[in-house]
Amino acid sequence: MTALMLDDVRHSFRGRAAALAGLSLRVEPGQVVAMIGLNGAGKTTALRVLTGRLRPASGTARVLGQDPALLDVAAARRFGHVVGAPLVASELTVTENLRVAALLHGLPDADVAAASAAAVEALDVGPWSGTRAQSLSQGNAQRLGIACAVVHRPTALVLDEPTSALDPRGVVLVRELVRSLADGGAAVLVSSHHLDEVARVADRVVVVHEGRVVGELEPGGTDLEHRFFAMVLAADSTVTTSTEVVA
Amino acid sequence: MRDTLRTALRVEALLWRRSTVQRVATPLLLGLIPLASVGITALARSGAVAGPGAAKLADYATGPLATTHLAVCGQVLAVALLGAGGFACAAAFGQPLADGRVGALFGLATPRGTLALARSFVLLGWAAACAVLAVGITLALSGAVTAASGAPFGLDAWAAAGRALGAGLLAAGLALPFAAVATVTRSPLATVGVLIGLVAFTQLIVVVGAGAWFPYAVPSLWTGTGGPQAAATVSPVALGLTAGVAPVAIVAVVHQWRRLTDV
Repeated sequence: MTALMLDDVRHSFRGRAAALAGLSLRVEPGQVVAMIGLNGAGKTTALRVLTGRLRPASGTARVLGQDPALLDVAAARRFGHVVGAPLVASELTVTENLRVAALLHGLPDADVAAASAAAVEALDVGPWSGTRAQSLSQGNAQRLGIACAVVHRPTALVLDEPTSALDPRGVVLVRELVRSLADGGAAVLVSSHHLDEVARVADRVVVVHEGRVVGELEPGGTDLEHRFFAMVLAADSTVTTSTEVVA
Repeated sequence: MRDTLRTALRVEALLWRRSTVQRVATPLLLGLIPLASVGITALARSGAVAGPGAAKLADYATGPLATTHLAVCGQVLAVALLGAGGFACAAAFGQPLADGRVGALFGLATPRGTLALARSFVLLGWAAACAVLAVGITLALSGAVTAASGAPFGLDAWAAAGRALGAGLLAAGLALPFAAVATVTRSPLATVGVLIGLVAFTQLIVVVGAGAWFPYAVPSLWTGTGGPQAAATVSPVALGLTAGVAPVAIVAVVHQWRRLTDV
């Protein structure tokens, strides 16, 4: 079963052009799919649909086979995401946040301490375990947010710009975490602007432009940036040509 | 459902215990209400206030001392708990919607509706606990003052304490609709604006003489803010209707949070 799916999803916000114009993508178990695109391409809107936060005007979203806005408890226990603000309370310490996240993700009491400890180790936030989240640096706060999203070892994971505030060490930690989850069978969808990072971690790279997927790129090689811009330009020229034909 | 509600209550209780609003509001409620109850009564009986101020305090200048302390406590509680509870709802429900943190509550094994229910219970429990403690501290303070002055502490004082507690609990429940307001407006400031507007509207309702049937006026009138005659117009049915506001508000906000979208 496809773990994460968007099929012909369309949505417009009031007074603006279409944010999603028939976007479709699939992430299978064991895959890391990176979604790249320019600002305003529709990546975050697509991820909001996929996490149930936005009901699209049309199209289908599925997480582990279910409507993400109506996930049952069993499916929700296997799902994790960070899109925008993470599951972190600024007044709680790092350890408290992880325990709260573990509880809210449905882990039994007996497993909470071990799961929290594992997440602390995976994201290397141990030195700040007693620090309130509001006192963390931006990078450590981002690490904590990711730790809270994976504390229950989800089998479907959605991350929006997970390395945007991280130092090189943090980037490596997140890369290793994402790969280890996928190697364990999880489906991971990552939105990112860091093309070199995407090239290292992703199995597939999908290019989103003007609210739809315009193609896929091979993650390997050193010229991902060049190929990305070429694909975006080609998509633009296709749209321009179609418009001219209609006119 | 029971397990997820228990989890949600644990989490929401921890979050509320650590929140800045709670840390500021609790000592203010527990400190100022008892001090105001005893202080206003002492001021009214001191003869130090003259003119229009004395007329305002005239009701507190006579009558049994302890009963007056507890009547004032009820009158202050009726307003203070509505205000504090409204602010609490604005912060707990409105702020996560305003800053986008509510988005992280989607797709959890603990559903949003259950979290909203637990959050409502925690806020109601906190406000009710503040009412109990404020009346308890006022009772202790009043007991000390009456013992020192040799004034009696009779059954009528205990009756006034019961009414103060009832008014406090009613006011705590009346704050819960502001959770629904915060969810609609997605703004803590707008929620506080509605709270202020409602207080002003309540004053108008009381002025035109319909306060005995308006839930937001009932606790204050019942504790004697409008005088003994106005208090006598508050019927048990009106008290029951006022008490019914909280469960309706909880059902509404749980429904809203289940159906949240575009966050």
